[in-house]
Amino acid sequence: MSVSNLLENWSDFRHTHPVDDVPHNPYKWAMSIDLDACSGCNACSVACYAENNLPVVGKEKYSHGHSMHWMRIERYWDEDLGTEGGRDFPDQGAQFLPMMCQQCEAAPCETVCPVGATNHTPDGINSQIYNRCVGSRYCEANCPYKVRYFNWYDYPTTDNVWPAEMNQQLNPDVTVRGKGVMEKCTFCIQRVTVAKNNAKNEGRLVHDGDVQTACQQACPTSAITFGNLVDPESRVHKQWQAQQVELAKDEQAKDKEEGGSGLRGYRIFEELRPYPSVMYLERVRESAV
Amino acid sequence: MKDIREDIAWAKINKDVLKSLENPRKLYWVILLIAIAMVGVAVGCEIYQYNTGMGVSYKNNTHVWGLYIATFIFWIGMSHSGTLLSAILHLMHADWRKPIYRFAEAMTTFSLMTAGLFVAVHLGRVWQIYYALPYPNGRMVWPNFQSPLLWDAMAIFTYLSSSILFLYVGMIPDLAICRDNMNPGWRKKLYTALSLGWEGTDRQWRNFRVTYLTIACFLIPLAVSVHSIVASDFAMSQQPGWHITSFPPYFVAGALYSGCAAIITLFIILRYVFKFEEYMTLPILKKIVRLTFAIAMVWTYLNLIEYASVWYGHEQAAKDVLIQKATGPYAPFWWMMNFLGSIVPLTLFFKRFQTHIPLLFAVSLLLNMGMWLERWMIVAPTFSHGYYPWTWDHDQWPSLIQWGIVFGSFGWFTLLFMVFCKVFPSVSMYEVKEMVYHRSQATKKLEATAKLAAAGLNAEKGGAH
Amino acid sequence: MSKRHLLALFSNFDEAEAVVKELRKIRIQGFNAEKDMIVKSPIEHPEVEGFLGDKPVRVQWFTLGGALAGGLLAFFLISGSQANFFAQLKGGKPIVPFPPNFVLTYEMFILGGVYISVLGFLICAGLPARRSPLYSAKVSEDQIGILVQADESASSTLKSIFTKHQALEIQEEAGK
Repeated sequence: MSVSNLLENWSDFRHTHPVDDVPHNPYKWAMSIDLDACSGCNACSVACYAENNLPVVGKEKYSHGHSMHWMRIERYWDEDLGTEGGRDFPDQGAQFLPMMCQQCEAAPCETVCPVGATNHTPDGINSQIYNRCVGSRYCEANCPYKVRYFNWYDYPTTDNVWPAEMNQQLNPDVTVRGKGVMEKCTFCIQRVTVAKNNAKNEGRLVHDGDVQTACQQACPTSAITFGNLVDPESRVHKQWQAQQVELAKDEQAKDKEEGGSGLRGYRIFEELRPYPSVMYLERVRESAV
Repeated sequence: MKDIREDIAWAKINKDVLKSLENPRKLYWVILLIAIAMVGVAVGCEIYQYNTGMGVSYKNNTHVWGLYIATFIFWIGMSHSGTLLSAILHLMHADWRKPIYRFAEAMTTFSLMTAGLFVAVHLGRVWQIYYALPYPNGRMVWPNFQSPLLWDAMAIFTYLSSSILFLYVGMIPDLAICRDNMNPGWRKKLYTALSLGWEGTDRQWRNFRVTYLTIACFLIPLAVSVHSIVASDFAMSQQPGWHITSFPPYFVAGALYSGCAAIITLFIILRYVFKFEEYMTLPILKKIVRLTFAIAMVWTYLNLIEYASVWYGHEQAAKDVLIQKATGPYAPFWWMMNFLGSIVPLTLFFKRFQTHIPLLFAVSLLLNMGMWLERWMIVAPTFSHGYYPWTWDHDQWPSLIQWGIVFGSFGWFTLLFMVFCKVFPSVSMYEVKEMVYHRSQATKKLEATAKLAAAGLNAEKGGAH
Repeated sequence: MSKRHLLALFSNFDEAEAVVKELRKIRIQGFNAEKDMIVKSPIEHPEVEGFLGDKPVRVQWFTLGGALAGGLLAFFLISGSQANFFAQLKGGKPIVPFPPNFVLTYEMFILGGVYISVLGFLICAGLPARRSPLYSAKVSEDQIGILVQADESASSTLKSIFTKHQALEIQEEAGK
């Protein structure tokens, strides 16, 4: 720690984030999910389990709320059971929302970790450092989306978490976490790191499509788009631009228009100002068509 | 009736208080063993939890915090009693605090020690708790000073160490008295070492007086800031039902409330056990009871302000949490908290109850139960009904492991306090002497002026004739 | 002539005050009321200080120094560690944010103040102190003691002063 370092870089260290006049350079990883394309098949969730060595906790622990699905498919229904034109059965016609860590630019979880186990990387991912985590769970307490998952038990030493032969599909690029550690979606940072390394060896930046997250790769309807938001050629940048959603705003200009904008793109809990990096494209409802 | 009899001989004060340090009767050992058994229950629960994982507490992804945090805040709250009596009342020259502040200070210290245990128990990886300490290391990693939990760690460390120092420094003259009156043995050695050769010289007293005042002046903002920081754990978060500006003063009021109620409980116990009726008198009890009532009303006000600010605000999520508290699964506890915290203290308003010892004992325990429930009702409902509907969990209750550890913490506190009462004088002898002396001087002066006035009047009357 | 200690015990402050006044006026060879007389009492007593005169109490200088040092140390320790090699962003806040740093600076200001005050007390009061050659447990109970150190020849004069003011007990150091 150096006081001279502190004084030299004083203005940098006093700068808040995110601000438009200091954009991310060269990478800002972001995602966009088309809820109209999402069929709720759960392939993304399973792929995430496989890619990130997630433990299968079992029915009893799940019912206690000890699930570990970094990517979860939420199901929502309108309140129309038994009404005219509404549902006939309770499970009919669900709307699906794949929810994972929103990698907020002003993440409420980062400020509150007492030991600094969660920070923000320069390329815009909310990092979780397993070794440092002491398990105070303040990060999950403060997350508005509750997308962080705590290791309530020691899963690597628990039976049937990765039953025989399934332990052979564990990803060697990703560690397994013991009890007492908090974990969450990392935008498959292990894949991003490999892509960045390859690109650096070739003396270039990562091109769009060089890196796919596990969920994006598994999705049969290509509902998930992942890429570099500050790369004008990337699909995710074009989608955000088309939907007129800006990263560093807590209320988009298009939402202030009279009668709404007709654009489907939105971010969840934008008004709480965490500046999430995931944009959702609203499902086209039958009533709108 | 006077707060204390002004003609108590100072030698009697020494004798009465030193009597409390004699070898304890059988009942003491029985209660001590029960306390140790309670601690054993907690230790057993913690060992099981340490080995198996936090999941045995039945906390889950929605309810990441439970009774450990609630009880942690409860114990920190209870610790404010000592500071209130020692420091605040000292600055206000309320000398009726003198017979009772010693055990209140001890209560502060032991409450803080108990609260510290809960921080440890609550962590998922307790064995790495030292990561929260700012020490230079090869990885150049420091704790996150932005986190209210870390402010907690620093503030509680400061408060605990300052309270211990204050308790000890304030006890030095008493330790000298103990040293002078003990037969040779482990006690005499202990008091001789701890009293640092105090002999009551003028130089020692002058510096003592200034130091005591200085530390008292520091302790008051410290106590307020410690509980404000603990409140910041909630107020600095974003969650509905927590992100309320009035939380710091609300918590401090609740802390003073808890502390005063606990003082009444311990007052009644010590008065009976050690026969301290001359010192822990009923008029002093009455003053404490009235103080508790006043603080109860302040707490009630801040509580109602919290509800009102949510109700008249625009944040729908916060309103929903408030409605949940009143009508949801936690409703019986929430209503009980409001009843115990706001209605039960109204009994303290009536003069005939203000010295009715059995009633006051029961009421003080109920008030503390209300305060414990308050802390739980801050933690649980917000988790059960937060911003994100998919994560709502209205059916989460703590497991026996959590209850076991909470139960054991009371045993730990009792253990510490009982040992303290038998090793150190629980009434401050030199301060009671000061109180008796100054009051008798004041009475003498009053009588003298009254006599002069009467003589003057007679002279006038005589002159007029 | 060798110096000897005498300890006289009195039952109230008025008599002790009278003795002190007399001891100040008296002229005995080898006895200086400022250095060779110590008053010991069971309680702090503003009147004792009154008749002994003002003596500077330096504890609060320690307090000031300790508190300021604590606060400054805290601020630079915390800001310096936040501005370290990694300088990691957290929650969109500046890397060296003022509100959290202020809270901790305040706490350490108090910590420094309290700790150094206690240290200052021990230094200024001279604790731990070597025990006096003459001491009575009554001093910690209800009597005021006056310890004087004078030549042997002066001891009878001093004793007469003590007895004049109803000393309850006079202790004398054994001859060497």
